[in-house]
Amino acid sequence: MTAWLIKTFLLCVLNVAAALLLSPLCEGILRKLRATIHSRVGPPVSQPFWDIFKLLGKEDLRSTGGLVYAALPALTLGSVLLLAALVPIGTGAPLSFAGDLIVVLYVAAISSVLMMLTGFGSGSPYAAIGSSREMIMLLTVEPVMAIALAVGAFKARTLTLGGIANWQVQNGPSISMAIGGVAFFLALQAVAGKLPFDIAEADQEIMGGLLIEQSGPRLAMFRWAIWTKQLVLAFLLVEVFFPWPHFGVYPADLLATLVKVMALLVLVTVIDVVNPRLRIDQAMGYYMRVAVSSLAALAFAVIGK
Amino acid sequence: MSTVNQATVKRVKETVAARCNGSLLAATEPHADTLHFTIDKTSMRSVVESLVNGFQARFMISIGTDSRPLTGDFGILHLFSLDRDHLYILIESHASDKDLSVPSITEIIPGANWAEREFRDAVGVHPEGHPDPRRLLLADDWPEGVFPLRRDFPYNYQPPPAEKANPQLREPPPGASVMPMGPFFPVLEEPAYWRLFVEGETIVGCDTRLFYNHRGIEKLGDSVLTYNEIPYLAERICGICGFIHSTCYCQAVEKAAAISVPRRARYIRTIMLELERIHSHLLWLGIAGHIIGFDTVLMQTWRIREPLMWLCEEISGNRKTYGMNTVGGLRRDFPDALKPKLLETLAEVEKEAIAVREAIIGDPTLHARTRGVGVLTNDWAKKICVVGPPARASGVAIDARIDHPYAAYDEIPPRIATQEPGDTWSRVVVRVTELLESIRLVRDAVWAIPEGPICAEIKKEIPPGRVGVSVVEAPRGEAIHFVLTGGDNRPYRWRVRAPTYPNLQAMPAMIANANIADVPITLGSLDPCFSCTERLETVDRKTNSVRVYSHAELLEISRRKASSGASSPTARRGGSQ
Amino acid sequence: MFLSKLREALICLRAGRVTLKYPFAPQEPKPGFRGKVTINADLCFGCGGCANVCPAGVIVVSDKEQYLRTLEFFWRRCTYCGKCEEVCPEKAVRLSPQFETATNAPQDMYMRLDVFMGPCQRCGRCFPPPTVLDRMMKTGFREGLGGGRA
Repeated sequence: MTAWLIKTFLLCVLNVAAALLLSPLCEGILRKLRATIHSRVGPPVSQPFWDIFKLLGKEDLRSTGGLVYAALPALTLGSVLLLAALVPIGTGAPLSFAGDLIVVLYVAAISSVLMMLTGFGSGSPYAAIGSSREMIMLLTVEPVMAIALAVGAFKARTLTLGGIANWQVQNGPSISMAIGGVAFFLALQAVAGKLPFDIAEADQEIMGGLLIEQSGPRLAMFRWAIWTKQLVLAFLLVEVFFPWPHFGVYPADLLATLVKVMALLVLVTVIDVVNPRLRIDQAMGYYMRVAVSSLAALAFAVIGK
Repeated sequence: MSTVNQATVKRVKETVAARCNGSLLAATEPHADTLHFTIDKTSMRSVVESLVNGFQARFMISIGTDSRPLTGDFGILHLFSLDRDHLYILIESHASDKDLSVPSITEIIPGANWAEREFRDAVGVHPEGHPDPRRLLLADDWPEGVFPLRRDFPYNYQPPPAEKANPQLREPPPGASVMPMGPFFPVLEEPAYWRLFVEGETIVGCDTRLFYNHRGIEKLGDSVLTYNEIPYLAERICGICGFIHSTCYCQAVEKAAAISVPRRARYIRTIMLELERIHSHLLWLGIAGHIIGFDTVLMQTWRIREPLMWLCEEISGNRKTYGMNTVGGLRRDFPDALKPKLLETLAEVEKEAIAVREAIIGDPTLHARTRGVGVLTNDWAKKICVVGPPARASGVAIDARIDHPYAAYDEIPPRIATQEPGDTWSRVVVRVTELLESIRLVRDAVWAIPEGPICAEIKKEIPPGRVGVSVVEAPRGEAIHFVLTGGDNRPYRWRVRAPTYPNLQAMPAMIANANIADVPITLGSLDPCFSCTERLETVDRKTNSVRVYSHAELLEISRRKASSGASSPTARRGGSQ
Repeated sequence: MFLSKLREALICLRAGRVTLKYPFAPQEPKPGFRGKVTINADLCFGCGGCANVCPAGVIVVSDKEQYLRTLEFFWRRCTYCGKCEEVCPEKAVRLSPQFETATNAPQDMYMRLDVFMGPCQRCGRCFPPPTVLDRMMKTGFREGLGGGRA
């Protein structure tokens, strides 16, 4: 019992540490890639680490009070780290006994909701607009993620992520899971806050949107949470929808996953760089079409493909 | 220079004389293309109405002058253009100290809205019947009754600071909430205050307060600087179209003083003007991309324009403020040794610009953000007298290089690009087409550039009392400089109208019933140059009613509480933020 | 749709990285660049032509005594137009390629040039002494005061 407890605890720590430490590095690599496509040198790869370090040392200027408002950044980062412990990274998720794919979906949504609350609570009209846009995005993108994961659950006859991944490894690729994977990828573009869907967070049109009033350590935590969420959901996508090749040996599996995750994030960034931002109503329309099309995946799953 | 239609001149003279009912005080022709009528102010509306409706004249600008040392009263001039006939028409009337007002012409031609408010702020002559005579130019805490462009006002006067001075802005209509954009405007990062009245994400009205950057350039021009020092100030009116303003000013003085500029100088001016147009349009493409989040377009177009900036640095000594113009021609020659390099750089820029055009022309996400966005109909474009690419994109085919040719454009005429839809995408298309056309023009000019002197020798002093109007087609539209020469080696009155001035007045028409997210790109598609414009306020308008001013004004008046005469800033102090 | 995106990506990648290394490496402006004004004090004889044409009024000329003309240059308001260089009869005023003129110390952008003059015997107006010996006599052989030094 104790051995299992220790093993679970260590795996949790490993997952959380991997998510926390790898995400600024990932972000740095992606910024460098973005800069290269822009024909410029760009910041060094370690820049996000320096950004967090600098922000943690700055003054915390809070425009409104309240205990809940003060705790929101930490809660957001915490929820993303919880998501990291629920998602398989290299091997089975350490907390998979505590939650299956439905819990994962909800925990993924918590961080968006918390950021929305921050926006509404900060009192700036620009943040309010950013928050309302984030709400619309969440409502439109969640169903797509849910449908994609539901396809996996249907095929594998289980609700646990590890179960779906194992089923995939045993049964090889299938059309329905491929469509589901693509749908989840499109949803990832929005959840990671990348163009053409970065409508809520980094909106130059409304001066920074959601996070406009956050500064210092609060901003550091929000930014870290966004980067980590992007990485963790990429892990989720790769582990559940594209788990091949599977070695059975933890270090090799981890390495393979990391390579696939980097390739995925590179694709996300390339799409980000060659697109302008869409308006919220256009993004909504787009995701509704994606949701309807991904129902085709369910249809394929039903007929056994 | 193109020939003016004498039949039209005769018709204009007859019509004006007829409408004046005998109160025509003077009718002169200072230049072959300029008609100057001095009328009694009571017949102002009638004359303007005949010009606008009968001749389809385009309103350009109004000029308010304190001519008390010359004639004992204040002069108000309205400048119109008959584009097809290559004519300028100046209608001058006077207002004496005892009756400081002239009839307003804004109801006849809405484009005169800001111009009339401006001369009210500048010299104190009130436009009678103006639908919205709020403060335009002067700061909210500027004292009442102090008019900067009067002759007895010292240029370095500093008024005492005021306690609480808020801009007088309107309240939203019932059911709508306010969304402020500014005073630090987020996207363009310039001081501009737009107050949008929104219902959800749709805009139902707007109000603005601009002119935070007013620098008093015209005052400096007629009090402190001399004829040959003003080009350096004119160059700094705008951060990107400096050469345009200095050329336009020099041309106005050269016209007034009948100085003939040597042919080589005119060709070099054409080359530098077109080079400015190329790099300005490339810059604009980048900014428009940045506004909609497409940073890649920003980086790439600015990378493409960089060799052009270096080339301008080699030609003139500076990337942007060339300092080449002087009255009579140029003071710095175009080095012939740079011709091959110029052609080579142009070829490179053309290749890259075409590549960018091919890439963005089929981009659906770009189309989603720009097609059907910020539509300015042909009708409104003519009413507000919009100029430049926004006008050409709405089907109004005006271009100062063809309508009032200057520099070497009579020998190398450009081809105008027009589009019909009037949305943001058509403005993009117009500017990209113009960019490629400018490259062709520079090539033609470089091949055809003659030898010879670059500056006319001016042996005599410039005589006072002469009028000169000159226009230059800036990348943003038509820039106008009006000069009335004075004694002691400086103009008596120098009036600058930048192209963004009328274009900004079109904003309310363009964002009516639009989405908030479309406001920055709509404003960006006008290519506003706030430093040129010296900002102004606008009025909100709804596009579905023709007599917008009076309708909106009536609603506003009926909702407004007591007090407020229109022009007192104390009426709404401490209000609406 | 993908074709246009591909074209856009190709434009970007073909260009490579164009960032200049400045300020970590020096950047020379193009020849003929109008940078900070330099005065060769030995050549200046105090005609004041530059002060006459300067549009920004950067140069202030004052005559202290019979023999001393002071030219003050407020370089921080200079617009780098180059009219002073054009007008100077002795080519004492030159625009250098120096463009890095940002400084915390205002005295970096201020210069005072004292020109020692002698009066013309016919009209009584001053002009600078023609030879070095004359210059030294004018200043009374005082240490450290070379005539016409800034």
